[in-house]
Amino acid sequence: MIETASFLLPAFLVAVCLVGIHVYFGIQVLARQVIFVDLALAQIAALGATVAFMLGHSAQSPMTYGYSLGFTLLAAVLLAFTRSWATRVPQEALIGVIYVVAAAAAILLIDRAPQGAEHLKQILTGNILTSGWNEITIIVPLYAMTGLLHWLLRRQLTGSGELFWEFVFYASFGVVVTSSVAIAGVLLVFSFLIVPAAIGVMFTSSPAGQLAIGWITGTLTSAAGLAVSFAFDLPTGAAMVCAFGGALAVAGLVYPFLRGDRHRALRGAIVTIRWFAAALLAGSALQLAAAPRADQPLLDVIETAVPSLRSLYFSRSELATFLEAGETAERHRAAAERLNDLEKRNRTEGEALDDVSIGRISSFLKSYGEMRKGEQFVMGEVRARARERIRWGASLGLLTLALLVAPIAWRSLRMRGPH
Amino acid sequence: MLRFALITACIGLMSPGFARDRLQVVSTTTVLRSLAEAVGGDRITATSLVPANMDAEDYQPRPQDVLRLKNADLLLRVGLDYDLWADRLLAQAGKPELGRGGPRYVDASFAIAVLELRGMSVSPSDGHAHGSGNPHYWLDPNNAEIITATILEALARIDPPNAARYEANRIAFLNRLSGKLTEWESRLVPLRAMPLVAFHNSWPYLARRFRLNFIGFIETKPGVPASPAHLAGLVRDMQARGARIVVREPHEPERDVAFVARKTGASMVTLAASVGALPGTDDYIALFDANVAALMAAAGLQ
Repeated sequence: MIETASFLLPAFLVAVCLVGIHVYFGIQVLARQVIFVDLALAQIAALGATVAFMLGHSAQSPMTYGYSLGFTLLAAVLLAFTRSWATRVPQEALIGVIYVVAAAAAILLIDRAPQGAEHLKQILTGNILTSGWNEITIIVPLYAMTGLLHWLLRRQLTGSGELFWEFVFYASFGVVVTSSVAIAGVLLVFSFLIVPAAIGVMFTSSPAGQLAIGWITGTLTSAAGLAVSFAFDLPTGAAMVCAFGGALAVAGLVYPFLRGDRHRALRGAIVTIRWFAAALLAGSALQLAAAPRADQPLLDVIETAVPSLRSLYFSRSELATFLEAGETAERHRAAAERLNDLEKRNRTEGEALDDVSIGRISSFLKSYGEMRKGEQFVMGEVRARARERIRWGASLGLLTLALLVAPIAWRSLRMRGPH
Repeated sequence: MLRFALITACIGLMSPGFARDRLQVVSTTTVLRSLAEAVGGDRITATSLVPANMDAEDYQPRPQDVLRLKNADLLLRVGLDYDLWADRLLAQAGKPELGRGGPRYVDASFAIAVLELRGMSVSPSDGHAHGSGNPHYWLDPNNAEIITATILEALARIDPPNAARYEANRIAFLNRLSGKLTEWESRLVPLRAMPLVAFHNSWPYLARRFRLNFIGFIETKPGVPASPAHLAGLVRDMQARGARIVVREPHEPERDVAFVARKTGASMVTLAASVGALPGTDDYIALFDANVAALMAAAGLQ
């Protein structure tokens, strides 16, 4: 427990550093409406590293870093121009083109290099869980210097839109993004950049307030994502990205309550939830009536949560068959696992099994697999038949429930009736 | 004059005599190419579709590959869902005799005693999403006997006049291999007690033959980064059991392997699971020579 937590501490500190600089850039990026510029810059840096790799430099060498930086600066020049070019074509379109061309060019180059594809993947899919103190010692001074530079030049960088200052903005952003993408991966860096900044922009228009809200929500969300990844044994990066998505959703739900008439907001929320529930119920009713043997997502979820609900519509013998098939399938699985374990232990312990015994084990394993599939088929069939039997009654019930849940003003409908 | 030379060259290339001089054997992986060369000798030209340095499990075929299949006399594949992409390629090539069940189609996993078979529906907790068993069977040198027998049978079937030559080639290769196998086994004896960890579960056949003890893997599902609890458990296991070596293949992410190695003070060793994946692994026997040497060096036994 404590060991696992010690795994998460460096990851959390890295996340705090990344949130610190990316929220600032995120606010800028939102203001300039160049949402995907981080992807384009990261991809260009990866292309630079790929070129260095092709020329025979190793992945961690200063030359490779130099190539990445050079390509990023070139891209910054290009991006600085896109603002003035983007008269009839939106700037985002040009950025998108830079991104896809850089990605495709890297693939074409890497196709000719040994171990190339994996190298490219490693540049763009960092894993925040496996980052450590050595990364923190690199990014802290780098981000501090970038932050200082932007604070000193805040007037020129945020307002003017002059070519040179645009270049400085994109160049410094490129340096930051290149390092952060290698640590945390494209998806997570994008979340760090956009989500906290968007929440900040949503709630206040003062730059300092936006930064503060962004930093707080970013840090809390990162902590929540890490905690979820730890508690539910999930891949860390993906869990954090989903946590950021959740944070944005929560902010969107909270927003009308903080900014405006609370009663109206509450009423609106309830109406939305009721419509949503009604649509879900009506959809499930139609699905059950039209195709009772197909997957029934709503019923399946409810049954998994409360297995005893099955006894409501299974006959006694069906229920017995269902449960017995489930137990048998589990027994076959356990037997297969035991055989696998036996073979695995035997690789190093005791006298080695010969090929004939191994062949016997694997044919046993195959049969267990088939028998297990058979039992699962029985379970599916029993359930499908039971659902077929109740299809009309149950879907009528679901439909009635949907009508009851739906926020339809029955009284006013009746008033408008024949009178 | 030049035009005349060109035309002659074209006619020469198109004439069946030139093309049929050697049997064109196309394999999915470099290991099968090497084993086909060992049996076919100078009677065949073997090409592998996946380049030596790529992960054959998620290879994306090129347009040229269809052409290679169109000109092939024999197709050799790993099977066991390892090179599934070959099925679509075969459908595109439109040569039924090369397709599944055709006379020129060879699934090298035929008659192999498969390890770690699990039903399709069992959750893949050891890095393999498929239910056909672990497909890395060529990493047991003894399985080369079975694979070359399958190849011999196919070559003798499509080229009966040279059957005796193929058989002699195979026996010579197996004699060389069995001498080498005793050498590898005796060299790896000191590693028998040593617990090892690998990035991907590619090594059960190697482990079985040389009695190596792989106690865990970094990757639990292909392409999904490990969760904190899994990594922490792995590190704890490694510390408790004194695992000093983490194995990776050249195409696997160095970052994650280095992280685990750093946490446990273990050393990182790069092994080749296919011919040509590392320098000095140019054929099947050299592959094991290099891997044995790398393992010995990592264990500090050289």
